[in-house]
Amino acid sequence: MDIKKLLLRNETVLIFAIIIFSLVIGSKSPEFFTLANLFDILRSSFVQLLFALGVLIVIISGGIDVSFPIVGIFSGYTAVIIMQKLELNPESLFIPIVLAVLIGIALGGFNAIAIAGFGIPTLIATLGTAGIFRGVMLSFIGASFISDIPIGLDKFSTADLVKFESDAGTLVRLHVLVIPVAIITILVALLLSRTIFGRSVYALGGGTEPTRRLGISVKRTQAKIYMLVGGLSGLAGILYVSLQRKANPYDLAGSELDVIAAVVLGGASIMGGYGTVFGTVLGVLFINMIKNNLVLLGVSSSWQRAAVGVLLVIGITIQAISENRKNKRQKSASDSEVA
Amino acid sequence: MMNERASKFSTAGLLADRKVTQLMAFTAFTFLIFSYFSSDIFFTPENFISMAYQVPEIAILSIAVMLSMLTGGIDLSIVGISNASALIASYIMTQKMSEEGAISNSWILIACLVGILMGLLCGAINSILIAVLNVTPILATLATMTLFNGIAIGITNGVSVSDLPEQFMRIGNGTFFGVPSPFILMLIIAGFVGYLINRTGLGLKVFLIGTNRKAAQYSVMGDRKVIAWTYVISGLLSALAGLIIASRTSAASPDFGNSYILLAIVIVVLGGVNPMGGFGTVTGVVLATIVLQMVSSGFNALRFSQFFYLAAQGGVLVLVMILNAVLEKRRISKSINKSLGS
Amino acid sequence: MARVKISEYSVENIVKSFGGAKALSNVSMSVSGGEVHCLAGENGSGKSTLIKIMSGVHAPDSGLIRLADKEFSELSPREAVREGIQVIFQDFSLLPNLTVAENIALPTYIFENSRLISKRETKKIASEALDLIGVDIDVSSSVSDISIASKQLIAIARATNLGVKMLFMDEPTTALTRKEINRLFTVVNQLKKRGVATVFVSHKIDEIQEICNTITVLRNGEVVADGLMKDFGPKSISKAMTGQDVSTTRIAPPLKLAKKRAVEVKQLTSKPTFTDISFSVAPGEILGVTGLLGSGRTELAEAIFGKYPVDSGEVIVNGTKIHLNSSRDALAAGIGYVPPDRLTQGLFLEQSILRNLVAVGIDQYRNRWGQLSQKNLTSAGGKWITDLKIKTNNSKNPVTSLSGGNQQRVVLAKWFAINPHLMILNGPTVGVDVGSKREILEIIRDRAKNGMAFLVVSDDIPELIQICHRILVIKNGKISKEFSESELSESALYKELN
Repeated sequence: MDIKKLLLRNETVLIFAIIIFSLVIGSKSPEFFTLANLFDILRSSFVQLLFALGVLIVIISGGIDVSFPIVGIFSGYTAVIIMQKLELNPESLFIPIVLAVLIGIALGGFNAIAIAGFGIPTLIATLGTAGIFRGVMLSFIGASFISDIPIGLDKFSTADLVKFESDAGTLVRLHVLVIPVAIITILVALLLSRTIFGRSVYALGGGTEPTRRLGISVKRTQAKIYMLVGGLSGLAGILYVSLQRKANPYDLAGSELDVIAAVVLGGASIMGGYGTVFGTVLGVLFINMIKNNLVLLGVSSSWQRAAVGVLLVIGITIQAISENRKNKRQKSASDSEVA
Repeated sequence: MMNERASKFSTAGLLADRKVTQLMAFTAFTFLIFSYFSSDIFFTPENFISMAYQVPEIAILSIAVMLSMLTGGIDLSIVGISNASALIASYIMTQKMSEEGAISNSWILIACLVGILMGLLCGAINSILIAVLNVTPILATLATMTLFNGIAIGITNGVSVSDLPEQFMRIGNGTFFGVPSPFILMLIIAGFVGYLINRTGLGLKVFLIGTNRKAAQYSVMGDRKVIAWTYVISGLLSALAGLIIASRTSAASPDFGNSYILLAIVIVVLGGVNPMGGFGTVTGVVLATIVLQMVSSGFNALRFSQFFYLAAQGGVLVLVMILNAVLEKRRISKSINKSLGS
Repeated sequence: MARVKISEYSVENIVKSFGGAKALSNVSMSVSGGEVHCLAGENGSGKSTLIKIMSGVHAPDSGLIRLADKEFSELSPREAVREGIQVIFQDFSLLPNLTVAENIALPTYIFENSRLISKRETKKIASEALDLIGVDIDVSSSVSDISIASKQLIAIARATNLGVKMLFMDEPTTALTRKEINRLFTVVNQLKKRGVATVFVSHKIDEIQEICNTITVLRNGEVVADGLMKDFGPKSISKAMTGQDVSTTRIAPPLKLAKKRAVEVKQLTSKPTFTDISFSVAPGEILGVTGLLGSGRTELAEAIFGKYPVDSGEVIVNGTKIHLNSSRDALAAGIGYVPPDRLTQGLFLEQSILRNLVAVGIDQYRNRWGQLSQKNLTSAGGKWITDLKIKTNNSKNPVTSLSGGNQQRVVLAKWFAINPHLMILNGPTVGVDVGSKREILEIIRDRAKNGMAFLVVSDDIPELIQICHRILVIKNGKISKEFSESELSESALYKELN
């Protein structure tokens, strides 16, 4: 791969952006470069990354999913409620996680029926299902805030891999989640690049009809995609409940913007067919780095969303300009088929 | 590239009209159902009047979504724009009031004009991204939605601006010859947009561009300009809706109506607008708004929770899309059977 | 791939109807391994249905499918692939966001129901497949960066990789230059040597004659002719396809050369596609432009219309220089353009005939107060429907209710409505049934008689000879020769093209 192409890749630009922003923030406030801060950025990224991996898969396939945060909180909240109602072992970590993932898959199945089964455009379908899920949850499952979540989940929020006090007296903690999340990230990356299912996801993003002609079942692939996203979202949801140490059914709604921003900034094309796990990881880290450290720049946290908005607008503008330039060049190139 | 003779008679051209009549029947049906099940609360003049106050802002927002959908795109930033416009107008009004104790009508007018300008500005930003830079509408308006909402939250710190001047509140809560003022405003706006899309060159271009952008480009109709105008007008409509909301609730907040985007999309889809572009009517959208408002009010009267209404919105959206898909499949298989399959 | 034993692939007495309409009646066709068979026919002849039946997309109502020594009454797509039947469609069905290697190798993995995929193995499979047909393309490159001709070869490599025994190629040379066509034919000959039965679906008579051994001609769902290629000539094939001796006499109207040129093109250049193009067209003159695809002919046409970027040169309409690179200015100056792909570029399929008719220059239908006058629209629509004899009973019907020929008339009318000085037509009769083809040429002639200048870009030489006063041949982005009225002859033109 020639150097120029490498430099122009989205991921590279993002790495540069991360470095530049780190230097800017760090120069104003050296606290940025502490281990405590870095680990904090990681901690706030775990849940988002899991959501983002799911969104990445959907976006590569040419669709978009805005229901995932609701799927997440629905799964997490319902898992807790089931555990309480059925008086399941509160110390178990395994049970709520499995419950949440299964619920997430089921909800994803709902999306699958709408999208794969009936061919409803993905934005509209998931907008609708988000409403249904949220409405059903708040109407029938419960609208109350649960602060006494099962002990196992509660304890997990302080399960640190690394924990010590720094010289400055601050607590430096790296949550144990870094390991499973890293593993899942790698697994998703392998799934996308080394399995037929993964290649089918990319194929779908390249075109529905050519994919069908290759012998790939479009419907089955789509169904698997949305159920996989559901499962990932369910996992993210229950982990969120654990890390927050509360199950609040009103949480997570509205967070789809940050996640989608991270995936788009990470280089996934909304038209489908392109996107990498590496880029998504960078995107999530970048967004969280900015959000968490606005304070260090002297900006109040109420500007977090605006910051994401600005980054997103800049990001899509850059992507659009380079896309337009590529199209102009390609037009002349492909027509220069001089005999 | 080869084409065969499809069915000689097809309803596509008339479909718009048929959908409106179907919708009228459906509206009447919904009305009867709720009136029957809740004759004491739903079927009262107070309720109808209250609905008449709440329908306009949503109808106007839905018409904004309809416009962008007609060109084959979508404007997800309508709520962000409406809140931003409401906030800036309210800010001006409350500032003036705190400075001088009272506020003149001309200053209220100025505040509203600034709010409208804000809407045009936001619409223009959308237009630049979509028409000039060729960003996909979903992505562009998702980004601007985040941006507008974010700036509003940042500036207000999440706190709403309230205690708006009484004269301003009269717009959202008063009547004009016995009819609620916002309703009149809605009719005027609906009439204007209806005129725009059905009786002007711009409107015809909107339909054509939404049907086949490439062919529109080859027919040299200034497609980019038309799309740019669409998002600017959508911004304008969103601003008007925002002002009406502020006037009615006497407050402007950065996070108001977050669920309105779903509601607007349910309404336009129910109202017969084709999500892929090219077809739709203002009448349909207004009727659909009334239907949804009746559902909301009816649910309320029947003591269903607001979350049930949310689930119902999602359910209606998914059901209508499924219905459309099924009917379309049937229409296509019928016409395939009529044509030679070569 | 080991040499395949010579087998026969045939269909016998296939009957297929859709709804009430008969697509195929008693069609039988037979192709041997190692043979290149031409399947010829106009639109609506049943070609696509036959292909779909053989590739398992449709099931015949009755009849037999014989593949080597097996018999089937119907096939599923998977069975068809298993028996070695592959179809290469006009769009090649390649995925632009994947690499060449993956495009070639993926079907193999899918067919074998594999779960995992290895990059190295993919590359190996792809390289071997390409070697097999004697083609050299970098397998790691992305398909979106590759020329159309190469894409086609990749599609063929993909087919051979799946062990193809009978390969259908649907209009394979549409987008190829002469050089690329030669390359394709070399590959087809390779397939021939390996015993693959190739079915070449095409209506390009000169090419068919060059590469095919045998031929079957379909018309209206029936086999009207078949046999050895050498027993057929262009006239007999054409007559079999169309069923009529369509008049091919010249109908270009007599030309009174006006002093003023309608359009002058001076040294129009767009590197590297075409350079220094200069010519002029008089009012009422019909100038033909031809050249193999890739010669720059389409780009030239679009450039004059402002749709293709131009580096330098001049375009002068009625004495006034127009701004280059602007379709708006071209339109305002009086240039119209009928694009080659009617369905995606020329029509708004779901909209009414009326709306399609008025799509250009919408503003001219405004009334005194600036609003769009329904009356003006409907009367204009009615006028064009009558003028161009568009067969419909209601202009509110969707344009999809029209036949191909009538749809083309709609596109023509749309542009005639602004009364351009110069009408550029790119492939005006492509995909139009035979009767309509002649009538469209007559429409062009009648407009020319009234002073409209025409630039007709086409690769249909016989048609150009019928209607044009002069013909320009474009080669390698330059005008290689201008044929005046007296010099027009098919053989001379073909010779110049090659």
